Amino acid sequence: MKAVFITYDQAHNEAIVRILDKNSLRGFTYWEQVQGRGSFKGEPHYGSHAWPGMNSSMMVMTEDSKVEKLLSELKALDDSKQALGLRAFVMNVEQSI
Amino acid sequence: MSLYSTAVKKPISTALVFLALVILGLFSLSRLSIDLYPNIETNTIMVMTAYPGASAADIETNVTKIMENSLNTVSDLKHITSSSKENMSIITLEFEYGTDIATATNDVRDKLDQVKSSLPDNVNNPILFKFGTDDIPIVILSVTAQESMNGLYKILDDKVANPLKRIAGVGSVSISGIPKREIKVYCDPQKLEAYNLSIETISSLIASENRNTPGGNFDIGSNTYSLRVEGEFSDSKQLEDIVVGTQNGRTIFLSDVAKVEDGPQERAQEAYVTGTSGRGTKYVAQQGGTIFIQKQSGANSVAISKQVLAKLPDIQKSLPADVNIGIIVNTSVNIENTINSLLETIMVTFIIVMFVVLIFLGRWRATFIIILTIPISLIVSFAYLLASGNTLNIISLSSLSIAIGMVVDDAIVVLENVTNHIEKGSDPKQAAVHGTNEVAISVIASTLTMLAVFLPLTMIPGMAGVLFKQLGWIVSIIMIVSTVGALSLTPMLCSQLLKLNPEKGKVWLLIFTPIEKALNGLDAFYERCLSWVVVNRIKTIVIAFAMFFLSLGLAKLIPTEYFPTMDNGRIGITIEMPVGTRLEISRALAIQVEKELAAKYPEIDASSFTVGQADEDNVFGSLSDNGTHLINWNVKLSSVGDRQRGLTEICDLIREDLRKYPEFKSFNVLAGGSNQGVGGQTSVDVEIYGFDFDTTDKFAAEVKSKLEALESVATVNNDRGDYIPEYQVDFDREKLALNGLNMTTAALYLRNRINGSLASYYREDGDEYDIKVRYAPENRQSLEDIENILIYNNEGRGIRVRDLGNVVERMTPPTIKRKNRERLVTLSAIVKPGYALGEVANQVQQLLSYEVDTPPSISTTIGGSFEDQQDSFKDLITLGILIIILVFIVLAAQFESLTDPFIIMFSLPFAFTGVFIGLAITNTPLGIMAMIGIIMLAGIVVKNGIVLIDYTILNRERGMSIRRATISAGRSRLRPVLMTTLTTVLGMIPMAIGIGEGSEMWKSMGMTVAWGLAFSTLITLIIVPTLYCVFAKNGVNRRRKAHAKGLLKK
Repeated sequence: MKAVFITYDQAHNEAIVRILDKNSLRGFTYWEQVQGRGSFKGEPHYGSHAWPGMNSSMMVMTEDSKVEKLLSELKALDDSKQALGLRAFVMNVEQSI
Repeated sequence: MSLYSTAVKKPISTALVFLALVILGLFSLSRLSIDLYPNIETNTIMVMTAYPGASAADIETNVTKIMENSLNTVSDLKHITSSSKENMSIITLEFEYGTDIATATNDVRDKLDQVKSSLPDNVNNPILFKFGTDDIPIVILSVTAQESMNGLYKILDDKVANPLKRIAGVGSVSISGIPKREIKVYCDPQKLEAYNLSIETISSLIASENRNTPGGNFDIGSNTYSLRVEGEFSDSKQLEDIVVGTQNGRTIFLSDVAKVEDGPQERAQEAYVTGTSGRGTKYVAQQGGTIFIQKQSGANSVAISKQVLAKLPDIQKSLPADVNIGIIVNTSVNIENTINSLLETIMVTFIIVMFVVLIFLGRWRATFIIILTIPISLIVSFAYLLASGNTLNIISLSSLSIAIGMVVDDAIVVLENVTNHIEKGSDPKQAAVHGTNEVAISVIASTLTMLAVFLPLTMIPGMAGVLFKQLGWIVSIIMIVSTVGALSLTPMLCSQLLKLNPEKGKVWLLIFTPIEKALNGLDAFYERCLSWVVVNRIKTIVIAFAMFFLSLGLAKLIPTEYFPTMDNGRIGITIEMPVGTRLEISRALAIQVEKELAAKYPEIDASSFTVGQADEDNVFGSLSDNGTHLINWNVKLSSVGDRQRGLTEICDLIREDLRKYPEFKSFNVLAGGSNQGVGGQTSVDVEIYGFDFDTTDKFAAEVKSKLEALESVATVNNDRGDYIPEYQVDFDREKLALNGLNMTTAALYLRNRINGSLASYYREDGDEYDIKVRYAPENRQSLEDIENILIYNNEGRGIRVRDLGNVVERMTPPTIKRKNRERLVTLSAIVKPGYALGEVANQVQQLLSYEVDTPPSISTTIGGSFEDQQDSFKDLITLGILIIILVFIVLAAQFESLTDPFIIMFSLPFAFTGVFIGLAITNTPLGIMAMIGIIMLAGIVVKNGIVLIDYTILNRERGMSIRRATISAGRSRLRPVLMTTLTTVLGMIPMAIGIGEGSEMWKSMGMTVAWGLAFSTLITLIIVPTLYCVFAKNGVNRRRKAHAKGLLKK
């Protein structure tokens, strides 16, 4: 069991939900409005006057086998629209109920 | 959920809501009536009372004074002015602004009823007038006739006036300049004397002969019959057979002592007309008359005029062959031309705006999205017009034209940002929501600044207020609709229509590659300029302000005016001959002038002139000055598009022509037809109140000569006209008493012989005509005739006037004017061009208080027309200041800062520079309309500053240095700034050039906005970034010092 934390420019939202559906990944937790900025080049997303963009975040729980495919599809999405920004981080899930 | 995200998510609802608005607007448009001006409700009521045969002084004491005393108690009355002239008393009641004129009219009517019993017996019933824009005649017809002249009044009344009155919406049809029929009994004094008869006897005999008397009812057998004596004359010839007495057993008939004439009234005003008749024939200076057609208030002028004109061919057919009807004034043509030229202006503006948007964006779809906001916003404003009971008129349509260039601004800003997002890679739907979100606040703020300008316009009081109320509301409503559209419809359409990198065709590449290159070049050039100015800040600021102060010098060169003169194709001419000139002589000269004008000016479509004394029934004639020595013209030129020469040019030429006649004492050629309300010369009026004519005249002459000596005064006019010679009979009271007579009886005898005694009425076909008995014209032509008049006393003995008193010639003023129940003389000092009104008013005040010795019985005040202009200008300046403060408040709230709006406001002085340069170059006078333009600029020019500063601040927040932030913001915002500016400036140009009828009104406003905005934008693009650098650097330095101090303390 892995947890994938995806944080991305709001504009990507619909495309990501589509990717999840395609990969039969049903469960996720979604934060609509989150702020943040990238560690290297990523523009700040503050929803302010100067930086009006906003991010959304998503935590997706998945079996280990599906992670590779999900990440590669997310990478393809990110590459297609680099100006928006999308990052995903995979973590172990120790236990669940 | 925000407006724009809802709109993007529900495209169908959004589209249909706007469709519904458009349908509502179009429905309103179909119900709107078309008129030239908005309905201007007046605050004056005029009371006209005729007292035939009385002189100015008689009228004043017996009619005017009595009525004034009673009318003075009507509530909300501001001023009461009157003029008493021969035969006529005219009282004008001016009410406080905003008084309900219908209630006031009822009050006035009540007061008149109360006072009726105290007026002399022969006084006609007073007539009440209200003069609103609704009362201006919509059609004026000319009538000419030859053989039918004698019966013309009746023919016109039956065959023209009555059918026209039946048209729905026609208020009244009045016939002017055509003498009414009258049965005149001309007595020979010698014969009367021989048969021992008098005018009075004959008059009462005629009255008792001309009577129908019912005799009661009586029964014959089973029936009841009524008994009647039908004594009324059935033919005017029967009058001659009346028996007036017997002499030596012989019967004397009326025909033995008098001749009976059935024909037009004596001493009526005559009208002559030139033009083309309904049958297509041209005629010059033919005797005839005019018919004025007024509409009911609120009715559609254009529709009614059309119906009237459609009826004319039928009416013409029903008239005798020698009677011709022509058209002198048809307001519907003027209105339609004006409205059409405005619609043309709106179309041209629309196309220009479309091209600007297309060139800058280079995309058809984007252009379509932006252009769509124009018709939607404009059409919605029709719903407002209908709801508020307004019409489609010059003001409302011009407001639309003003708004066109501005409504696209919001949509442009939104679309530009959405496009940016799409180019970054967003999905169009997301881009539409987020792109709109980013600029929503600044779009709303810039709309608020516009509202801060236009809403206060609706609060201007007075005459100008009526005009600007609509302008203010319409532009405000259009701005609100366009902003709502930009925040809902525009993002929705963007999400549906815009694509990332759409395919570009060959034609597109061919056209837009060079444009794109040029725009890029411009961007680069502007960036280089900015890089220079942010380094050379002091130099830039000094140069800019030097330019501003130099332009202030130009302000002196600009002529000023109140309202522009409109080329409505009408000219009014008044010619004054020496007082007392006989009608025949005036008429001959007038016909000569008329012929000369008709030959010289092919532009003259139709014209008419009246000459002579208007009688008591002739309402339109009585309103203007009239007399045997005065000739009044009404000239109609062909419409503006059909002629080369302008109105003022033709007027100047006519003035040249008239100067060649040595016979004229003075003449006045008025462009536009009348001098009332707007467009007159600027003058300072000195009102001199005082009862005694001699004292006031002497004083007025003294003041006049002193005023004329002033350098700033061109001429001084005295409104008390030249005194007219008058014969007065000074009866000796002792002699009268000796003969058993008194003053009133003696005077009545004189009046009956000269003015005539109204014996009875002759009835024919349901109409009544006066039967007047008096001396034959040849027996009242010399002083001796007057002196020989016989006055009979109770014993029946006749005594001649010469034995009772002297006939002397005296001079009396032709009209006696009063204001607030006191006699007054008004001296109007016309201000020389180049002098300020206020300055001259001060000089006049000085002169009155220190240099002239005012007699105790006289009081003076300064007032009149200059007050109005002064008040309007003062109102506008106050309004301007108020608006600037409001704009500042809106900006300060948006930026949450005091320095940033201060920097933005620096665009304002350079707008003035542009205005001054523009007006000076094009020689356009600075009037109310230009002032309104300047006020509008306060809202428009700051928009550019907002966009620039907003983006600079954004760049700074993103961490750029002051200089880099300024330069990069300038480069990236140059296109939107140029685009919104160009749409507004180019949108004003059709108006500023002024093609077609009625364009003069808005020319100076269009000119002001176009020049002011163009110039201010160019300077703003340089000065605002420079000033921002200066202020931002100071701010940084201050913070650094404070920081250093803090470090030292540690």
